[in-house]
Amino acid sequence: MDLATVIFYVFVLITLGSAAVVVVSRNIVRAAFALLFTLFGVAAMYAFLMADFLAVTQLLVYVGGILVLLIFGVMLTNRQISVDIKTGTVQTWLAALIVAALGGTLAGIVWSTQWNILSQPPAETAGAPKIGEMFLGSYLLPFEIASAVLLVALIGAALIARRERTS
Amino acid sequence: MQELLKSFLGDNALVYIIMGVPPLIFILLYALVTLYMEMKVSAHIQDRVAYMRTGWHGVLQPFADILKLIQKEDIIPAQADKLLFTLAPYLVFTGTYAGFAAIPFSEGYIGSNINLGVFYIVAASSIVVAGLLMSGWASNNKWSLLGAMRSAAQIVSYEIPSALAILVAVMITGSLNLNDVSKFQEGGLFNWVVFGGPLPLLQKLAIIPFTATAFFILLTAGIAEANRTPFDLPEAESELVQGFNTEYSGMKFAIFYVAEYANMFLVSAVAVCLFLGGWQSPFGSALSGPIWGVFWIVIKGMAFVFFQIWLRWTLPRLRVDQLMYVSWKVMTPMLFVCVFAVGLILVL
Amino acid sequence: MATALKIYFTDIYRALYTVAVGLKLTFLHLFTPSVTIQYPDVKLKLPERARNRLYVNIDDCIGCDQCSMACPVDCITIQTIKSTPDVDLGTTSGGNKKRLYVSQFDIDIAKCCYCGLCVYPCPTECIVMTDVYEFAEFDRQNLLYNFSSMTPAEITVAKEKAKKAEEEAAAKKAAAAAAPKPPAAPGTPPPAAPTTPGT
Ligand code: SF4
Ligand code: SF4
Repeated sequence: MDLATVIFYVFVLITLGSAAVVVVSRNIVRAAFALLFTLFGVAAMYAFLMADFLAVTQLLVYVGGILVLLIFGVMLTNRQISVDIKTGTVQTWLAALIVAALGGTLAGIVWSTQWNILSQPPAETAGAPKIGEMFLGSYLLPFEIASAVLLVALIGAALIARRERTS
Repeated sequence: MQELLKSFLGDNALVYIIMGVPPLIFILLYALVTLYMEMKVSAHIQDRVAYMRTGWHGVLQPFADILKLIQKEDIIPAQADKLLFTLAPYLVFTGTYAGFAAIPFSEGYIGSNINLGVFYIVAASSIVVAGLLMSGWASNNKWSLLGAMRSAAQIVSYEIPSALAILVAVMITGSLNLNDVSKFQEGGLFNWVVFGGPLPLLQKLAIIPFTATAFFILLTAGIAEANRTPFDLPEAESELVQGFNTEYSGMKFAIFYVAEYANMFLVSAVAVCLFLGGWQSPFGSALSGPIWGVFWIVIKGMAFVFFQIWLRWTLPRLRVDQLMYVSWKVMTPMLFVCVFAVGLILVL
Repeated sequence: MATALKIYFTDIYRALYTVAVGLKLTFLHLFTPSVTIQYPDVKLKLPERARNRLYVNIDDCIGCDQCSMACPVDCITIQTIKSTPDVDLGTTSGGNKKRLYVSQFDIDIAKCCYCGLCVYPCPTECIVMTDVYEFAEFDRQNLLYNFSSMTPAEITVAKEKAKKAEEEAAAKKAAAAAAPKPPAAPGTPPPAAPTTPGT
């Protein structure tokens, strides 16, 4: 087993281990921080798949944006009310059922898909230029619609935040 | 260098690990030098002399300081979250150190020659944010928490102007890889991106005001991201004790310290690579080459590190609302204008 | 609208301008000679009449105890022994004759507040302020300065002698008192008691 494989498995372990912590941990802030490592590990998986743009974007958007917001929210609410928010288990049976169904579906997809396995890693990664061309070329419309939706969301968020102050 | 190592060791993950060592050594040496510089500059600005007694003009003092920090007791507060408290400084350092992978120290040396270069550096700094939040929360101390919150808010908002400023340079050079960006600025001082890169003269003259603004804003945003005065609200001593690292001592504190200094150089190096030619010599082909490349980028980077120190001992701290005002209402709109104008000039 | 824009841009201009002014100022200070004095290597000259550590020139001390009386914190302890007429203690540099042995002259400099009040009353000017100010000690006992030059043996000898002289004087007086009583007129005060040594 060469070093790259070892590193790969280390990242797999980090991803799965921290994902388990996210689910199992009773301390919600710890769960939020564990999510950091899960997202980081997934970014590493992308990097192993030679999808460097995706890996970096994952880091920037999920770790730098969404996770930080999440942690902000959790930290601000966790201690402010005197009771700590704990994650408990309720409706174990129903949850188990859904999890089994979801897991089964995923496993089925993994099994049934014809994976296009390359014998060699691609010589050059497609990377940012190609993605950019696609965004501004063949996928221009979805791209623009997505940005319009985001803009609406931004304005809406600003409006909601402002309304409180005026009333 | 990567090719050279590959020819010895084969295409192996080991090559990449070895490639990661020089930046680490550089960071440690550089932190010592900057520690000394910071003390001396701050002292002389205030008409004092700083260390004089350890070695010639106190040159050995940084070593003594580091030695002291290493052998100090490592205190973890009883009510802290021990695991996260221990993890946080390493996470912060990792984020900064990871950024160094995409800095070309010379034509022949870049830690990781990926296409995404600067984009990757911006992304890696988000790990720093998470680390700071972690340290603040795990300390279980309201000052730490407030400091961490401020720091995260600050870094997140200043990432936008810095990304836009990076965009200005990237539009001109057409690459995110800092090594390619540096190569693009071949041919002396006036081919640097602040002066419009190797464009025709007329375009150059038109573009200079915008690139200069973008460079200036990138540097300022970088100072804010490195939590340095006048943007040091996260560590505001007069109100937050020490901010997010209040509870830290000994080795863990030293790691925070080194990470802060490394971050200072990182933001300077990114600005230098994008706008000031990176490892290119200012005299065209004279004094250039792989070894001179290291010299030039370190000199340029250190010049801006000096600038940051100089600024620190000149300006007082901004208020939180001023901080946000500068980022959102001054820098961001200005940079939109810059991006637009540069695009227009390039197309015409 | 226009004024708001104008304010916006003047604010930016003023911010940059003031930062530049500040940077220039600090940069100039970078090259102004520093005011620091490298203390143990370079020392400032003390002003004349600076009050620091006390010194007692014990050879000149006549044991008059005035310095001890003047001291507000009682940090000077003096004990004297009367000398007998047969010994000559010499004179002070000012020419006064010394009549008392100074068997103990301790100054607890840790208590001293450097007020200088002990210096003025001294008739022979033998207790003085010096310009020594570096006398920190690890052990507080070392700050108890003994200025007396007498050895314990000398003290015992002097004490015995003084005692004998006193006894003799007392005996003489007793004899004198035992002899003719009548001459002493009633109402006159008794002869002054001999001063006890050391007070
Ligand atoms: S200087 Fe003042 S305090 Fe000190 S011994 Fe003389 S009288 Fe006492
Ligand atoms: S006042 Fe002068 S002479 Fe008198 S006891 Fe003090 S030091 Fe001696």
